[in-house]
Amino acid sequence: MAALYGAVIDGILTGGVYALMAAGLTLIFGVMDIINIAQGVLVVLAAYLSYFLSIRFGLDLFVGLLVTIPVLFLLGVAVEWLFIRRLRSQEKTAMSILVTYAVAIIIEGVLSVTFGVNYVQLHGWYVTRSFQLLGFYLPYIYVFGFLLAAALLAVLFVILYRTRFGRSVRASLQNRTAAQLIGVNVARVSTLTFGLGVAVTAAGGMIFGATNAFNPNSGYDLISRLLAIVILGGLGSIGGALAAAVAMLVVEDVVAVIWSPVWSDVVFFVALVAVLLIRPVGLFGRAAARAQ
Amino acid sequence: MSTGIRRHRIRRWQPALWVGAAALLLSACGAAPSTASKGGKGPIVIGASLSLSGDFSADGQAFQRGYELWAAYVNSHGGLLGRKVKLDIVSDASSPTQVVTNYQTLISLDHVNLVFGPFSTLLTVPSSKVAARYGYAFVEGAGGAPLAFAAGLHNMFDVSLPVKDDLVPFAQWIASLPASERPKTAAYPTSNDPFTEPQLPVAERILQAAGVRTVYSRVFPAEVTDYTPIADQVAARHAQVVLLGSVDVPTVSAFIQAFAQQHYNPKAFIATAGPDQGAAFVNAVGANNTGGVMVPNGWYPGFKNAASQAMVQAYIAKYGGTPSGVNSDVAEAYSVGQVVAQAVEATHSLNNAKIIAYLHSGVVLQSVQGPVQFDSLGENGKAVAFAFQWIHGTLTQVLPTNAPGSSPPVYPKPPWGS
Amino acid sequence: MLPRAAGLGLLLLGLGALPLVLSNPTYTSIAIFTLIYMTAATSWNTFAGYSGYIPLGHVVFFGSGAYTLAVAAQDWHLVGGYGMFLLIPLAGLVAGLLALPFGLVALRTRRHTFVVITIAIMFIFQLLAFNLGVTNGSSGIQIPTPLWPAATFNDPFYYITLGILILAVATSWFVRRSRFGLQLLAIRDDEDRARGLGVRTGRVKLTAFVISAIPVGMVGAMYAYFIGQIFPQFAFDPLFDVSVALMVFFGGLGTVAGPLLGAVVLEPLQQYLTLQFSIGDLYLIIYGVVFLAVILLMPRGVVPSTRDWLRARRTGRPDAPEVEGDTDRAAEVAAHTGSPT
Repeated sequence: MAALYGAVIDGILTGGVYALMAAGLTLIFGVMDIINIAQGVLVVLAAYLSYFLSIRFGLDLFVGLLVTIPVLFLLGVAVEWLFIRRLRSQEKTAMSILVTYAVAIIIEGVLSVTFGVNYVQLHGWYVTRSFQLLGFYLPYIYVFGFLLAAALLAVLFVILYRTRFGRSVRASLQNRTAAQLIGVNVARVSTLTFGLGVAVTAAGGMIFGATNAFNPNSGYDLISRLLAIVILGGLGSIGGALAAAVAMLVVEDVVAVIWSPVWSDVVFFVALVAVLLIRPVGLFGRAAARAQ
Repeated sequence: MSTGIRRHRIRRWQPALWVGAAALLLSACGAAPSTASKGGKGPIVIGASLSLSGDFSADGQAFQRGYELWAAYVNSHGGLLGRKVKLDIVSDASSPTQVVTNYQTLISLDHVNLVFGPFSTLLTVPSSKVAARYGYAFVEGAGGAPLAFAAGLHNMFDVSLPVKDDLVPFAQWIASLPASERPKTAAYPTSNDPFTEPQLPVAERILQAAGVRTVYSRVFPAEVTDYTPIADQVAARHAQVVLLGSVDVPTVSAFIQAFAQQHYNPKAFIATAGPDQGAAFVNAVGANNTGGVMVPNGWYPGFKNAASQAMVQAYIAKYGGTPSGVNSDVAEAYSVGQVVAQAVEATHSLNNAKIIAYLHSGVVLQSVQGPVQFDSLGENGKAVAFAFQWIHGTLTQVLPTNAPGSSPPVYPKPPWGS
Repeated sequence: MLPRAAGLGLLLLGLGALPLVLSNPTYTSIAIFTLIYMTAATSWNTFAGYSGYIPLGHVVFFGSGAYTLAVAAQDWHLVGGYGMFLLIPLAGLVAGLLALPFGLVALRTRRHTFVVITIAIMFIFQLLAFNLGVTNGSSGIQIPTPLWPAATFNDPFYYITLGILILAVATSWFVRRSRFGLQLLAIRDDEDRARGLGVRTGRVKLTAFVISAIPVGMVGAMYAYFIGQIFPQFAFDPLFDVSVALMVFFGGLGTVAGPLLGAVVLEPLQQYLTLQFSIGDLYLIIYGVVFLAVILLMPRGVVPSTRDWLRARRTGRPDAPEVEGDTDRAAEVAAHTGSPT
């Protein structure tokens, strides 16, 4: 039984990390209607930025976020402005897969040239330590990651629901044309949203790099799981991404304990397909958000 | 190690290159492939396809260094049959499609005199089938999984340690410990991989016969992105010895991290691959977590073999670093070159049929990994399995305990973070 | 019509004579992989291009075809030779049968959800290949290789793959010109409207899905036989569909010639450049940049862009776009079906 509780705890904590990595994707996906295949590589890029800051300047990983978040924001703005906005609206979703895949390849190439292909990992005192609570050891890094996820998601929530910019974003999310009609500058909103989405990834990348050894090629294993999370959670729903990430990881971890790790992914993907057949908009997606 | 298969998903479509690429194409045509001279005094051209990008790139690039170090050594010592050696290395981007095209190109278009194998068991069989069609000997250093030999190819030879017996010295050592010290329980988590899966049952049988009870034995998916729950489960069973079937550094580092977080310190911990990756391993797990970690292999940088030591020196002179930073892939590649060179000198020809017959003749050859003698399947029957342990920041030979050069293993292993 | 038929005949003749002209195995090897991708891209487009749905799970059919051949060869103790090619229709059949349940499930959703469901199903298949006994798990399956002489070894593979390609192109061409194809295009334009006008959308989509799966399964088997060994991660490679989509979009989505052109240009170039520029990681950057430039300059693909350009030259009007998007296909279908609106 303890193993089962342990698995649930693991699932919740690692779910927080996945939510952090997926939050940016769901924002971009929801508002702009594009599938950002580069998300996985952006996570790795963020991890490398944190790595660079900690190796070169000895910056603590969390302090380093003060640098990496703005840097990734600017990168996101640049990518959107240079490439994404040039896509025609017809077949935009499909084209976005190709464009962001190209961006992913370029980033991977730059990382390989800069850092080489050997695995590295982020280090800090909290990376291998843990504290005891009710008989379970909770690793600091996951707890911090979960708190960071909660904090950043709260900030995003405030931005989306308490600011003018947020209103514009939500309006664009529901209906681009209508948003344009009521005077929302959809192009500008899209650029900023893309920047914001990539910026949030800075935090996800840092936690990813502290919990996994990575190299420039590591991003590809992530993208399918992140896509699954954002679709399951409902496009554009930050809270949905968190719930979906936690649900997914708990299911996987529990299956790994009671059955076998090799079947946990199968169970997850089968569950995903089942949920989407019943609710094509995902757990927290609004049915009317788009003519799906 | 290296005889392995690293990551699973293969990124073959290192994409698309288009209009502008036409320009590249023209320039490529200009740089026509070198045609090896058939006889005379020109260089001997040796072709190989390596994964210089994609999933196997870390190992592929290490292999390239090994081949190049060998060629540099041979050329500075009078060459082969009195001729210089020239390598023709092309990239397969870790793709079986590309590797098939590449060996056909090397043999039929570039007319190389000899070929060396690629990295990874996954690419070995398709490419050795191509080589077999042309009657080329196919000597390789990283295709030791049983499935490679199951193909029954007459021209394929693996100079490295056959994978399935890797863990035997470790298991025998544990079994030989006095009953009071011997662990009572063992865990066998392994990646779903043709390189790791055959190894663990062999070890498990030995340990069970010695009364070590199995408390965890499960396969986890090769592409898992989160090892924490699996590692936590192993920790929760409190196995006193852990044999981890890993193919790469991230797997080992995730397990070590989770074990440390759970304050779980097994008496002995061995991982089939990862701790042999030199500096990459230390950087990932952190220097203070390496203590006591073991890895089975046929070679390590401190190997007491004159040729091996010269190779390590040459490596450091060329690429910098310390002996501990040298990846065992380098030695595996270097051994390929040495074995082929001995066959060429002995048969005094570049005739591949003669070379194949010679390699099958039961002759014992020398390599930086120790003696090499091929059985009928092309496995190296003379290879000795060792186990190495990280002790005070250096990978040290510890098993078999009676082998020359072995230091006593540190047992039980020191706690994490010390 | 006549020049087009003549062009087609010439193309076929050229493809048929290719191994005689470029007889070196390096070139025929690249040509075989190119034919495999031409077939996959054509079939993928027969569904995606005409229906507007973007599947990223067609590798399920590729992999299932590959495993059908491998498992059959293993269980029936076949030896390498011409007889093995008889397994290829079987591989197509298996792929087609799998496409039925796959399509029934996935086609209940649209747009992004459809994309992600196809990805999920693709991973389910890959994981099954890793974990089921019949596939021999991660150790893969060895496939017997024929003992043909090296110089002409590739030729049978080449011609049989060419045969599959002709089948796929003919299918694509007939679909495009049939009432069935018109119904598919109506679904692409506006699915709800098409249904309102009497198109049985579910059945039409599923039929197209199955049709597009069969040749992919056949070339999957061909691939496995040619390589001589199959592993789960190569048979069910998640990036297969991205590669194929890339070729289709490069050439022109929804056209018959586009996917062919895309595969003919990209696959050999990819293989040739990887071979020639084996210089570490810099080429990733070059690839990505070139790739981006083309997508942004020719967003609709080469074939439609060229067609527009030619038309503009003929009519003397600059930039006259093809008015394809403006035709009311749904109404056209309705007229054909004669159903009440």
